[in-house]
Amino acid sequence: MAERLNTTPTKLLEVRGLTRTFTSRNGLFGKKRVMTAVADVNLDVPRGQVTGVVGESGCGKSTLARLVLRLLEADQGQVLFEGVDLASLSASAMRRLRQRLQFVFQDPYSSIDPRYTIRAALLEPSLVQGEKLSTQAATERINSLMAMVGLNPSLAQSYPHQLSGGQKQRIGIARALALQPAFLVLDEPTASLDVSIQAQIIALLEKLRQELGLTYLFISHDLGLVRYFCDRIVVMYLGRIVEVLPSADTPPRHPYTIALMESTFEPDPTKRRIITRLSGEIPDAFNPPPGCAYAARCPHASDRCRSERPALVQQDGHELACHHPPT
Amino acid sequence: MPLLTVRHLCVSIGHLQPLDGITLEVDKGQILGVVGESGSGKSLTAMAIMGLLPLIGGAISAGSICFDGTELVGLDERAYRAMRGQRLALITQNPMTSLDPMRTVGAQIDQVALLHLGLSAAQARARTLELLGQLRIPDAATVYQQYPHQMSGGMKQRIVIAMALAGDPDLIVADEPTTALDVTIQAQIIQILVDLVHQRGLALILITHDMGVVAQACDKVVVLYGGRVAESNTVQNIFAKPGHPYTRALIGCIAQTGQVRGSLKGIPGVVPSVADFASGCRYHPRCDHAQARCQSEVPLLQANNAGQVACLFPEGERRG
Repeated sequence: MAERLNTTPTKLLEVRGLTRTFTSRNGLFGKKRVMTAVADVNLDVPRGQVTGVVGESGCGKSTLARLVLRLLEADQGQVLFEGVDLASLSASAMRRLRQRLQFVFQDPYSSIDPRYTIRAALLEPSLVQGEKLSTQAATERINSLMAMVGLNPSLAQSYPHQLSGGQKQRIGIARALALQPAFLVLDEPTASLDVSIQAQIIALLEKLRQELGLTYLFISHDLGLVRYFCDRIVVMYLGRIVEVLPSADTPPRHPYTIALMESTFEPDPTKRRIITRLSGEIPDAFNPPPGCAYAARCPHASDRCRSERPALVQQDGHELACHHPPT
Repeated sequence: MPLLTVRHLCVSIGHLQPLDGITLEVDKGQILGVVGESGSGKSLTAMAIMGLLPLIGGAISAGSICFDGTELVGLDERAYRAMRGQRLALITQNPMTSLDPMRTVGAQIDQVALLHLGLSAAQARARTLELLGQLRIPDAATVYQQYPHQMSGGMKQRIVIAMALAGDPDLIVADEPTTALDVTIQAQIIQILVDLVHQRGLALILITHDMGVVAQACDKVVVLYGGRVAESNTVQNIFAKPGHPYTRALIGCIAQTGQVRGSLKGIPGVVPSVADFASGCRYHPRCDHAQARCQSEVPLLQANNAGQVACLFPEGERRG
């Protein structure tokens, strides 16, 4: 049964208390170890906007992306799409709803079956949905999808290995658009591409968002790109949200977000930074520290930070989890 | 005379010629950025300087690589081997391929000093621990005994840098040393490299596709496109007044703070492969200033704004 909750219409998607753990074993008879990849994440995705999730490897952003589309099942918490709890849907109802929720993967090299032609790859979503298309209708569909992502329709007869990385990522986007979705999760869609091609793909995503009225959840490790492309920015560290910036130009207050910002190099030699404050690496997720996960790297950390985890507190739309935000 | 001078370097692999007249210079205490998209010839330039082309079936077909008064083109393998490690060092993009998974990292760094500096085992170990400390590796004695799989990517890249430094080289070629790393770790590694160059008076060739890294770290820049030099200049001039449309386009691929959404354009088209380089100026199919002459006439590298540019209609001289 789909549960309908009271939500304001501006939120397309809501994430409530989402948690997911993974277990691992040291060898066959070793001790079981548990790591929490995503811990108690709450997130609103407003309709028509780009919500960015930023953080470094291991921060749980890709796990979150998969949980949001139920490609992974959550241990706890809910994902509400237009007020409907996705976990409450049967497999067939979820499959039908997937028309509206689509995913663009990081690696276009491995997300397209090498034995499929581009045409077959783009028709697969309608096949899965049980849609019957005449050959002519299929060709029209392919041509319009290819045009939408700026590719020559003649490429539809090619195989993935005949395309460049940028062309493959355009196919990945075209396939996500094949069923006319409302919401796309973009998991580092440009991370494996050259900068010149990365900028092309971002421009394409922006054009599609405006033309089709799409809503994006944009996952990235690149704060510079996120600040350029996103309306709101969610910063994750070791599985938790540490800061939510209500707009791209909100000055960050969490020391980790500030460090991320200082690590982003501007293409301008007059704005060189001196990197002195950054040290250390992300802690072991199997053995997280008791307090603030960032304390070991933080220049402002106190004893309180090392023992007590700061709660995420909202003020004027700006959410922050820090005991001593620098003023 | 600069420490390294590369003149009109051409490299062939079979019947293909992926490098066509590369010219660059780097001196002690300097960081030279070599930038371009994948396929522009950055890594081949690095391999040519390191004398590693035979590994991929390539050969230098013309030009010269002069290092501290010695011509490296045509140097026999034995002499090159003496150069590598001790005078020239290479840092590769993927630290995993540079490290032996079966040996502790300490032993691997020691080996460089044992081979090239003729130190005793104890001396080599002391030197390695000192190097690890200089690279801001906490608890160096523990790290010394670890295997590569026990380390994070950023730590492995530091070990590779330590290996490069172990022979006390004069020139380090770093081929995309931070591409596989997280941004905060990238910032640390770039800062470490910049500090090393200034403290030790090393010459560093930093190969990257990221104009942000270039702006942050480099003193001079060579922009490559399709195996040719498009432009070379000081980092200030390259960013303040790019002469080549490709340089301008590359800079425009990275979002600046406060940049309005929708204004980032990228470079249209795709990077050509060596088998289908365009005639004339190789960039003309993607260039928004291309004219008829660009299709047939190869632009030569000529003086421009205190640097050099290979464009028939360089920025500043262009009309309309």
